[in-house]
Amino acid sequence: MQEKDIYILGVESSCDETSFSIVKNGKIEIATATSSQIDIHKEYGGVVPEIASRNHIKNITIVLDECLQKANMKMEDVDAIAITYGPGLIGSLLIGLEAAKTLSFIYNKPLIPVHHIAGHIYANSLVKPLQFPLLAIVVSGGHTELIKMTDHYNFKKLGGTLDDAIGECYDKVARVIDLPYPGGPKIDKLATSGEATYDLPVPLRNDDYNFSFSGLKSAVINLVHNEKQRNREINKEDLAASFQKVAVESIIIKVRKAIKNENLKHIIVAGGVAASSGLREAIYNLAKELNVDVSIPPIKYCTDNAAMIASAGYYAYKDGRIADLYLNSKSTDNLC
Amino acid sequence: MKILYIDTSSSFLYAGIVEDDKVLIEVNNKLESELSKYAIVKISSMFTKLNIDPRDIDKIIVVDGPGSFTGIRIGMTIAKVFAYSLKTKITTINSLEAMAVSNDKASYFVPIIDARRGFVYSAIYDKDMKEIMLPQHIKLNILKEKLLILDDYLIITNDDIEIDGIKTIYKPDILRIVTKYKNKKNINPHVVNPNYLKLTEAEEKQICHD
Repeated sequence: MQEKDIYILGVESSCDETSFSIVKNGKIEIATATSSQIDIHKEYGGVVPEIASRNHIKNITIVLDECLQKANMKMEDVDAIAITYGPGLIGSLLIGLEAAKTLSFIYNKPLIPVHHIAGHIYANSLVKPLQFPLLAIVVSGGHTELIKMTDHYNFKKLGGTLDDAIGECYDKVARVIDLPYPGGPKIDKLATSGEATYDLPVPLRNDDYNFSFSGLKSAVINLVHNEKQRNREINKEDLAASFQKVAVESIIIKVRKAIKNENLKHIIVAGGVAASSGLREAIYNLAKELNVDVSIPPIKYCTDNAAMIASAGYYAYKDGRIADLYLNSKSTDNLC
Repeated sequence: MKILYIDTSSSFLYAGIVEDDKVLIEVNNKLESELSKYAIVKISSMFTKLNIDPRDIDKIIVVDGPGSFTGIRIGMTIAKVFAYSLKTKITTINSLEAMAVSNDKASYFVPIIDARRGFVYSAIYDKDMKEIMLPQHIKLNILKEKLLILDDYLIITNDDIEIDGIKTIYKPDILRIVTKYKNKKNINPHVVNPNYLKLTEAEEKQICHD
């Protein structure tokens, strides 16, 4: 007998994107609507939490309506509601949370709490089936982690950053060479037309699976400072290429070690920095070298979106992870 | 006609369901930082206790501020999503109006909400609820000067405000509030938004720099 199709409504509002999505069986995106505030926060050089919250509430029903219209579905057709409960900006998270809880109450639908990083990992499930055991490389503005999964919704952290997240480091380096916010993607773009001529240290070549990016960040800041003192022009393309080479290399070293030691079959990449072409290329090459499968989500699933939350929500739902209306948002929370 | 009233603009949740001239049920809970956790729990329990469905609500009256930014958004998100989903009529009222309407026995009503750093949110209403001073974010000292020329005013506040005059603690009279505003013009839920009466600090700084 064929199993009944399950439709999950995903809700995501952890930072500056308000997003709703309906996903079928954790794999097929029916419709997604997202309102990004990136142009609003650009003026302030970064996300301003109170402004983000104010825009979330302005957009919340408009984006929900757009999602239902695109899907040509009604709330009654949805089986459950998956919501990012954390981590993220608390004022932003609360708008999605209250919306999801209200929908759960008035339509009497189960509420599924989803960790934001579980969402980023499950963005891959929208592209191709996950094969276990796998290694999830989580790289974003707030995270740099290697997570091993032996089954659905079974997460084990192998290692993570000891200081700055990789995305944070990209943004700071961008600021040092006067690139406007958000600088990370601009570094990636500049790097493609530069050469890695500047000498920067590869951090943490040790035996564990941890990362450190603050040393690399300081090295770039010092280098720019010293060149300025000597009245020498910084070649931004070359600096971006040099920085990206080292940042990517420090990830690849640990990933190679994890794949070999843990005997993993599938590499998946999750989070905003997965959009970096330099990192994507290096991971594809590594997967080829080690003869393991690899999936990196398309750019639209790398940035914050509710489709990934709905996908993760499906597997959480199958695993019986249901919350009641007492569910609260958490600004910080570990996935595992 | 059943009307749902929601006010989360302070550290309290004030909510109720009113039918005709009767408050069927109400909640008045000091929730503070737990507001986000309990608001919908308390609201849904009103429906359970009355054994009614959210679809039985004909109109929502929600307080749109001023007050706690996060607090306002919690109640308004619930109200917006509820009204959008079930096509319930919805209108907004000001927290200061709600405070004034809930009181009597004075010539003027002065609701005050602490806005910190020497500022308050306040307004002045006469006994016919005419605005003598519009709701605003105002320095407490300036408000005090404005009160000097008034006789027989009642200060309504839940905050510890240093100001002379007869003070009363705010306890909403949901029946009076709903009776007064139940025919107020309905608003499209998409444009039901908080009325903070204050820019964010980032916006204020930017204006200073411009």
